[in-house]
Amino acid sequence: MPRKLIIDGKEIEAEDNLTLLQACEQAGAEIPRFCYHERLSVAGNCRMCLVEWVGAPKPQASCSLQVKDIFPNKDGTPARINTDSPVVRKAREGVMEFLLINHPLDCPICDQGGECDLQDQAMGYGRAAFHRFHENKRAVEDKYMGPLIKTQMTRCIQCTRCVRFATEIAGVPDLGATGRGEDMEITTYLEKAFSSELSGNVVDLCPVGALTSKPYSYTSRPWELKHTESIDIMDAQGCNIRVDTRGRAVMRILPRLNDDINEEWLHDKGRHIWDGLGRQRLDRPYVRKNGKLVPASWSDAFAVIAARVKATTPDRMAAIVGDLAAAEEIKALKDLMTRLGVPHLDCRQDGAKIGGGPRPAYLFNTTITGVEAADALLLIGCNPRWEAPVLNARIRKAWLNGPLKIASVGAPVDLTYPAEQLGTGVDVLNALADGSHPFAEVLRNAKRPMLILGGGALARPDGAVILHHAARIARETGIIGPAGTPAEGGWIGFNVLHTAASRVAALDLGFLPAPASEESPGGRDVAGIVEGAQKGEINFIYLLGADELPLENMGRPFVVYQGSHGDTGANYADVILPGAAFTEKDGLYANFEGRVQEAQRAVFPPGEAREDWAILRALSDVLGQKLPYDTLADLRRALVADLPQYGRLGQVPVWEGADPAVWNALGTDGVFTADVPMGQAIADYYLTNPIARASKVMADCSRELLHSDENKQAAE
Amino acid sequence: MLSDRDRIFTNLYGFEGADLESARRRGNWDGTKKLLDLGPEAIVDIMKKSGLRGRGGAGFPTGLKWSFMPKQVDPARPHYLVINADESEPGTCKDRDILRNDPHTLVEGALVASFAMRAHVAYIYVRGEFIREREALQRAVDEAYAARLIGKDNVHGWPFDLYVHHGAGAYICGEETALLESLEGKKGQPRLKPPFPANMGLYGCPTTVNNVESIAVAPTILRRGAEWFAGIGRPNNTGTKVFCISGHVNKPCNVEEAMGIPLKELIEKHAGGVRGGWDNLLAVIPGGASVPLIPKSVCDDILMDFDSLKAAQTGLGTAAVIVMDKSTDIVKAIQRLSYFYKHESCGQCTPCREGTGWMWRVMTRLQQGRAAVDEIDLLQEVTKQVEGHTICALGDAAAWPIQGLIRHFRPELERRIREYGALKAAE
Amino acid sequence: MASVWTYMKMVFGWWNHATYGTLLYTARKGVPVGTDSFGNRYYQTADGKRRWVLYNGTVEGSRVPAEWHLWMHHTVDTPPAADMTKKSWEQDFLPNLSGTEGAYHPKGSLVRGGVRAPATGDYESWSPNA
Repeated sequence: MPRKLIIDGKEIEAEDNLTLLQACEQAGAEIPRFCYHERLSVAGNCRMCLVEWVGAPKPQASCSLQVKDIFPNKDGTPARINTDSPVVRKAREGVMEFLLINHPLDCPICDQGGECDLQDQAMGYGRAAFHRFHENKRAVEDKYMGPLIKTQMTRCIQCTRCVRFATEIAGVPDLGATGRGEDMEITTYLEKAFSSELSGNVVDLCPVGALTSKPYSYTSRPWELKHTESIDIMDAQGCNIRVDTRGRAVMRILPRLNDDINEEWLHDKGRHIWDGLGRQRLDRPYVRKNGKLVPASWSDAFAVIAARVKATTPDRMAAIVGDLAAAEEIKALKDLMTRLGVPHLDCRQDGAKIGGGPRPAYLFNTTITGVEAADALLLIGCNPRWEAPVLNARIRKAWLNGPLKIASVGAPVDLTYPAEQLGTGVDVLNALADGSHPFAEVLRNAKRPMLILGGGALARPDGAVILHHAARIARETGIIGPAGTPAEGGWIGFNVLHTAASRVAALDLGFLPAPASEESPGGRDVAGIVEGAQKGEINFIYLLGADELPLENMGRPFVVYQGSHGDTGANYADVILPGAAFTEKDGLYANFEGRVQEAQRAVFPPGEAREDWAILRALSDVLGQKLPYDTLADLRRALVADLPQYGRLGQVPVWEGADPAVWNALGTDGVFTADVPMGQAIADYYLTNPIARASKVMADCSRELLHSDENKQAAE
Repeated sequence: MLSDRDRIFTNLYGFEGADLESARRRGNWDGTKKLLDLGPEAIVDIMKKSGLRGRGGAGFPTGLKWSFMPKQVDPARPHYLVINADESEPGTCKDRDILRNDPHTLVEGALVASFAMRAHVAYIYVRGEFIREREALQRAVDEAYAARLIGKDNVHGWPFDLYVHHGAGAYICGEETALLESLEGKKGQPRLKPPFPANMGLYGCPTTVNNVESIAVAPTILRRGAEWFAGIGRPNNTGTKVFCISGHVNKPCNVEEAMGIPLKELIEKHAGGVRGGWDNLLAVIPGGASVPLIPKSVCDDILMDFDSLKAAQTGLGTAAVIVMDKSTDIVKAIQRLSYFYKHESCGQCTPCREGTGWMWRVMTRLQQGRAAVDEIDLLQEVTKQVEGHTICALGDAAAWPIQGLIRHFRPELERRIREYGALKAAE
Repeated sequence: MASVWTYMKMVFGWWNHATYGTLLYTARKGVPVGTDSFGNRYYQTADGKRRWVLYNGTVEGSRVPAEWHLWMHHTVDTPPAADMTKKSWEQDFLPNLSGTEGAYHPKGSLVRGGVRAPATGDYESWSPNA
């Protein structure tokens, strides 16, 4: 029920579930704050947001006072709130003075300088005219919080935002406050690293320079940076990011607000891989001569490829798309290979048995915001904490806010919320499908049940069988509901969680083995290509940033590697074509929901490296199969002509209702390889792709956060 | 002077046993069933009429507080009564004697109050340092359980469980919401209000937090009637109150007296007078450490109740009278209180966390005179900056003693600064 | 011819010796004041209003040392003493070296080997032999 308030003389109506601070913002008044944050619980401890409620004996903390608790005056007139009266100013100036007396005021050497809440608000409420604190300032010992967070705890103003983030959002209660009074300190209790995949967000949350980014420390100032809005491709969620660059170098990556995808969080891999963008870079073409890779010119490299292509029949050629490719270059490669008549195409380096069907069969159909509406969740071979950490925070939010029952088939891991462990045996899917398992009952009784299929399930040899059973469970338990969004009464709870940013686009574009027909036996998938190469049946492989393959035992095919980083692929390549990383080109990426977003160029590719679609266009000319687009705009037009959804950026496909034929035909009905336990899709969260593997920061994280026990044992 | 038959705590000094048998002889547990038969509404009504004001320090009318509890019990949100026995205010020791020597008044009061608030469970939060007191109380609770006076199936027909919880010894846990946090097993830090405990208290359920004394006097008020209680003392400041007299008196003691007794009479009659005679009096802190002190000139004819002390810019607080004679280093005394508040601040909100330390440090220098005269004004301003800007009242409590000192003893502060300056100049 | 050429250089050249006009003027009005460490000779008119220098070699303004520069520009009136001692922190005077072997080249200049401190925008390129 809305309530009338007079804020700064302006009468407004505010919903009574708002806080006074939000109501004041609606009225256009700006309220300074340190501890208050929209996505965290209200602490009300900084006292900076004090406002005057005319008639109340003391100023009120507007962040914690709810509109419903503000009663009108005795004569029935609305309560009057002043946000900039002398009383308020005096109160805020007093609080600001208290905050500053024990703050070191070391702004010139503080990384937060220029983007510091305390600095900004001291401009408004600091009493610059006098200084009257003649005692010694408090000093606080710095704490160790892992390889990503640098601490300077003397600067801390005890707002406890970081503590609340750790306990509420990240679900890793490693942070807390010890001591009381002026001896209160924020700490990790045991001097251990803050072991969350979302740990970097506390740096954004910290209103002062107490917690700063360790890898970014002392490298640049905020006013030197150019901001480019882009998309994170370290996982398939498509978190919105802002790439900050100085000159031609990426200095840091920050999250951008998008309530539909990442709210305002970003996972540590997306935030901290920027140093990988400046390491192990391929900056010139190479050609293998007498067994050694030597630098070459673009035309030489193209000539070598052309000679080889001419000498090879198309059925002995293959192309594989890696995990970080944008839709444009996938389309260019697909078009080129189709013109050459190559049947062996694949984008599923991990061997996931998915794709080929209609979009809902391989998308995260519930959508990220839809997760909050679910009331039962079945995870199958899926560890969202590693495969999509920001999505995991969303699942945790749904679990915190509502009755969400969660069960997991697969390796038991700490997901930051309790999940019933149904074991690692695959057979349990059968029991879930035929309803004999108790959790099948939970799914059936739930209003909006959902399941998530992870890489740990689909990448198994019997992945297609698991897919088939997952579709059966979905059919039996009401996971596939009526068309429309949850708000409209529709529901679809069948989800595939991809980990590769390129995967959905590649599946959309059909970068898959050619189907078998009467004339041909059909194309080979990744496993088939590897086997063919070993047997000498595949002589030419084109790798578009594909590094997760067992190249070392593939025999001696001719390998063309096009990519940005020297990783596995480059080492085994015969020709290397240097491409651009995701910060260096404009590219479209479809996230696991099927939402298409654009990553924009923040800097130019190094050396002679070029944008990937342009390389393929140039190569096609040399091969005599000129692709019909000369500019990126032409290419995008062609892409949108094939796939209209690529013209609607940022939109998520709407569930159009079930086609029973599709869901019945999903996967293959067969026998499980029951003796193999359900594993994990990701072996090391911090080292999943060539950019991350080139990053020193990620290597440190992997060593300190995931393998610290092993290190200790080795030391002993 | 209060006559003996009007006393509620008849075993305050432990001359008799604290056991159930002795308590019954003193009149406790007498016709408790009949009290419950009055019904919750009537009990709250009598409490309102009696004019009892909370004995924990703020003086909020107890009957009114009880009436804030919802009249209907939501089955998912049971009501709770929490009794605050975290008596840590310097100078205060009234609850301690009740717990030690008259625990059955409290146990019976807990039952009656819980019934009035439709609560089936009550918790008593005992201060960490009260070891023997907790044992005595626990003994009384066990006796009451054994005699089926309380418990699931008791003779009074109101299922009622009473738990004694032993705190860990932090002053801030005596603040009602911090007490609830501590009781829930969290860090003892005050909650934001609103929502008030009557709406969202212990485990998010409607809860009333009362002082030990407020609860312990309830059965007697109900037995003897609101008119009797209201007839003692002055209007709006009715009934009897346990005063704790400490400091430079000949016989420090706890004594139950009528509200509104003159301070001079209280000290002379019950505490054997000020050490060295009334004229040797320097100042009195009339209500525990957190109220401003009053100098002798005010003490001469002040009445000990909420309203008259408030008029003298101080407060009744917990009625802990700390008497200081002329041998007292008054600045050091207040400085020590400042240290206490600095030490006990929970650190949650800014003004108290940073302000208490600052005030203590300035007080330390003022005590030696190592300051400038204008720093007295600075200190005054800092106390004003803390007061009223914090989540709980600890910030106010830290500010008031200093404000009292500056109000009444500014010449003394200035003298010290002058003398220290002269000393430095001579060196 | 050679002598004519030499004569022409002496008449019209001014970059490696004083012109005839200057020499004539110096002979007529010049009062010698002193000589600096480079062998440049300094003169002034009798009333001290004009001050000039005859270079020992190339005619180049930056070859006048700092102390004589002061005198030349009427900043001081007493010419620098011949036995003037240098402060411990003073460096030897150097004329402008631009265009010569000793010219200044910043760090990272190709003349100095092209090695510079790391800067923003540097990247480590992959090398097949690493």
